[in-house]
Order: sequence, then structure tokens, then C-alpha cells
Amino acid sequence: VFNNDILLEIEEVREKTEKLFNKLLKDVERQKKIMLRADKRQKKEYDELQKKLEEVEKLQIAQRNLLESFIKLIANAIDTKSPYTGGHCERVPELAISLAKKVSEDESIDYELKNEKELEYAAWLHDCGKIVTPEYVMDKATKLETIYNRIHEIRMRFEVLYRDVKIKALERILSGEDKEEVEKWQKEEFDRLTKEWEFIAQVNVGSEFLSDEEIEKLKIISSQEWIRYFDDMLGLSWAEKERKEITSTPSVEKLLDDKKEHLIKRDEKISKIYKKHNFKVSIPELENNLGEIYNLSIKRGTLNNEEYFRIQEHIMMTIDMLESLPFPENLKNVPLIAGTHHEKLDGSGYPRGLKDNEIPIEGKMLAIADVFEALTSHDRPYKTPKKLSEAIKILFFMAKDKHIDKELLKVFLKSGLYLDYAKNYLLPEQIDEVDINEILEKLEQI
Amino acid sequence: VKKIEATKYTPEIILDEENGVIEIKGKSYPENTFEFYKQLMDWLDEYFKNPAKKTTFNIELIYLNSSTSKFLYDLFDYLEEKSEDNEIEINWIYDEENEVAEETGEDFKEDFEDMNFNLVAKED
Repeated sequence: VFNNDILLEIEEVREKTEKLFNKLLKDVERQKKIMLRADKRQKKEYDELQKKLEEVEKLQIAQRNLLESFIKLIANAIDTKSPYTGGHCERVPELAISLAKKVSEDESIDYELKNEKELEYAAWLHDCGKIVTPEYVMDKATKLETIYNRIHEIRMRFEVLYRDVKIKALERILSGEDKEEVEKWQKEEFDRLTKEWEFIAQVNVGSEFLSDEEIEKLKIISSQEWIRYFDDMLGLSWAEKERKEITSTPSVEKLLDDKKEHLIKRDEKISKIYKKHNFKVSIPELENNLGEIYNLSIKRGTLNNEEYFRIQEHIMMTIDMLESLPFPENLKNVPLIAGTHHEKLDGSGYPRGLKDNEIPIEGKMLAIADVFEALTSHDRPYKTPKKLSEAIKILFFMAKDKHIDKELLKVFLKSGLYLDYAKNYLLPEQIDEVDINEILEKLEQI
Repeated sequence: VKKIEATKYTPEIILDEENGVIEIKGKSYPENTFEFYKQLMDWLDEYFKNPAKKTTFNIELIYLNSSTSKFLYDLFDYLEEKSEDNEIEINWIYDEENEVAEETGEDFKEDFEDMNFNLVAKED
């Protein structure tokens, strides 16, 4: 009995141990399976992830290319729009990036070009607001130039033909008068009119400064009267008609005049946008004033006050446009950089009147690139290309007047970047001898 | 009917005591798997005190982590024991394109060959 009990107990323990052992064995097998399954899944997931990543990278490159092409498309559209500034939007980025690289290398300035794309995009887009600047303002070559309804000229020819008929009749009637006397008078009148015409024509070109005396002379010439016999309300658009005062014929007209029809009202919608951005520029009351005396009285250049504002508007438009774009974190300063290239260190720039420490260094570099390109470009038919030495002299004075950054200008000159650029883009006859050391010394003394 | 709502990491669990249907549906990769499924095990202990005539498990997991696999082995061990006195059916439902879910189901079926374990492929 005793032996049997022990045997039974041993048998029981043996069975239990075997069960436990089998259970453990099973568990080990299961763990193995789970692990192998997990490994397999992990591999599959990792492969998929890798594939997705490659796809995302490909997509990113494709999107960046698209974005860049789009940016260049806008820049090229602006360059194409105005043949006078052709290539500007393309050359400025190159110059700005080169300058940023030289400034990075220079130990005197604490700056490192970390985000080339941001500066590049800002430079490509620095003039994008010009897309809305009307060509007749951007390229206004004479004071009286405008979009013009030629019906006025045609009507004037009718006026002249009618006078010819009248004169012929008078000549016949008055054939008995003293011939010598009449001819003398006619010659004097013709000489006077010729001189006056030549004066007006010269003033219109706007290549020289107009003095107060000359403006007086202009007004006296303008006040001469003639009689209009034909209806000047015919052949007009509704917009032109709306501005015009109805007069009966025959009507006494001035040779040159400022009239109500010349005043074009401002679109308040756009003014509101500018107020929203807190731009510190005074907005002229009128959109434009096409008055003949008003425009001929422009003292310098060909742009009147309203049109000058129109030119400045491009930077405000640039800022408004770029700030509306959802730039990602790495490009978030594009609007700021592009929008500060007309600011001056002394606060006299536009549109925000920012001071030295408020303008980002990239904006200051862009300003130098912008000015230098504009000064040296030789594809603007209305001005003779400047010599390299002249352009550098102007940059020097701009630094002296605290318009551009003196330290950045020093790097631009001493690194030889100005010369590399000149060799690539200037005509050989533009490149003359420049005493860089002398200018650097002078810059030091400012 | 008892129910646990699905979350981003855990499946929806429904226990219909009257019809004897238990559904586990969704993804299962909780931070602490065994803690999460403890609720279900408590419900099952309670349920098997007075089970329905037939008990059906519909398990449709599109994604599960290793500890969920381990839990399921434990669950099926538990059900294997219960099947001595109960009629239990397990349906392992998987999308026919989900190869991992299919193979995982096959592993289970192989281990519990005495149980009524069905692999159910679902078409899109």
C-alpha cells in the first residue's frame, strides 16, 4: 500500500510536470510564432514606409520645381512686360545670392547664409507687385504720354481743315490789303509759334530740370486761345464722357489746359489694403491727373506725383501679394525680405519707413543688388548705360546718405563681386578703371 | 449588451449576452494590452456563469501588435477550456488583401485544431 501510494504520487507529479512542460513548450512555440509574425509585419511596414518616403521625396522635388517655375514665370512675366527692365528680375537674384555668400565668408559681418532658397525666392519675387503697375506709368517716356483716345487728334485735323477753308475765303476777300505788311506779321507770328512749339516739345521730353521761370513761360504759352467748332463729346467711352463737361460750340479753348476731364478718381478699395498694412506713404487724392499743364510742369523726369506713387505702389503690392501666400516655416521671411528692398537705413525709404535695425540684412543685400543691377543695365532704351565707375560712385553716395548699408557695400567691393558681375553682364565699354581702395578708404571715413 | 467604444489604438468590443455574440473589431495596439483586455475577461467570467446556448466570437482585427497576439492565445486557451461545456465558434474575419491578418489567423487555427475556428475572408 505504502509503495503504491508513493508510486501514484510520483505518477501524479510526473503527469503534472509533463503537462507543465508541454505548456511551456507550447508557449515557447507560440512566442516564436508571434515574434516571426511581428518581424514579418515589421519588415513589410518598413518597406512600405521606405517606399512612401521615396514617393514623398519625389513629390516634394516635383512640387518645389513647380513652385520655382511658378516664381520664375511671374518674374519673367514682369521682365517681358517691360522691355526696358528686361532681365532685371532674373539678374537680381543671382547678384543677391552671390553677395550673401561673400558676406557669409567675410568675418567683419556676423551673418551666415543658412537659407539660400528663402533669399532666392524673395529676390525672384522682389518686384512681383509690378505685375499690376500699368505699362504707361512704368515706361512713361514723355510727360504727356498716356493711354490716349486718338479721336482728339483726328478732330483736331478736322479743325485745321476747316480753318484752311476759312483762310482761303478770307484771302480772296481781303486780296486788296498791303501785301508786305501782312507777310511781315505772318512771319513774326510763325516764328513765335515755332519757338513756342519747340519749347513745349522740349519740355515734354523731360530730360532737363524745369525752372519756375520756365513753368511761367509754359503757362503764358498755354493761355493762347482758339475756337473749337466741332462737338468733342462724340467718339468717347462712357468713362471719358462721365469726366467731361458739356460745352456748346463754337467754344473758346486754351492751347494747353487742365480740365475736369483730366482728373481720374482713386479706387478706395486699394487704399484700404494699404491702410491695413500700415504703410507710411501718403496716398495722393487722385488716381491720376492727365492735365496738360499739370504734366508739362513736372520739374524732374516724366512722372507726376500720382504716377510716382503708382511706381512706389509696386512694393506695396509685392508685400500684399506675398503676405497672402501660405509660405511654410523655412520660407516665412520671403515677404519681409522682398518687401524691404526700398527701405533706407535713415528711415526715408518706403513703404514702411523702416530704420537700419528694422530692416533684415537680406533686405539690405537685396537693395544693393537691385540698385546695382538697375544702374548698370544696358537694356533700357531711355537712358545711356552707366560706366562701372559711375555706378559705384552712386552706390558710395547712397551709403554716405545712409540709404544703403555701408558694411555690405564694402564686402560687395572688396570681394571683387562687382567686377565678376560686370564681366558677366556689362558691355565691355561700360567697364572702366575703378579705384576700389580709394572708395573703401572713403567708406571707412563715413 | 455591453460595449467598449473603439479608439485610435483599441478595437470596438461588444458582448451580446442574450444572443451569445462577442465582437472584437478594429485595430489593437494599446500601450498596455493586458490591462485593456482585462475588462473583456471579467465580462466573460460573468457571461459563462449563465451563457447562451451557443457562443460566437467574431474577431476582425485589421492591425494587431505582438502582445495582442499573446493575449489572443490566452483567450483561446480560456475558450478551449470553456468549450468542454459550451458550444463555441470563433470566426477570424480578415480582408482578403490583408495578408498579415490572414496568416495570423492561420497560426491560431493551427494551434487550436480541436476548436471550431473559421477563417472568413471578406471581399472589398
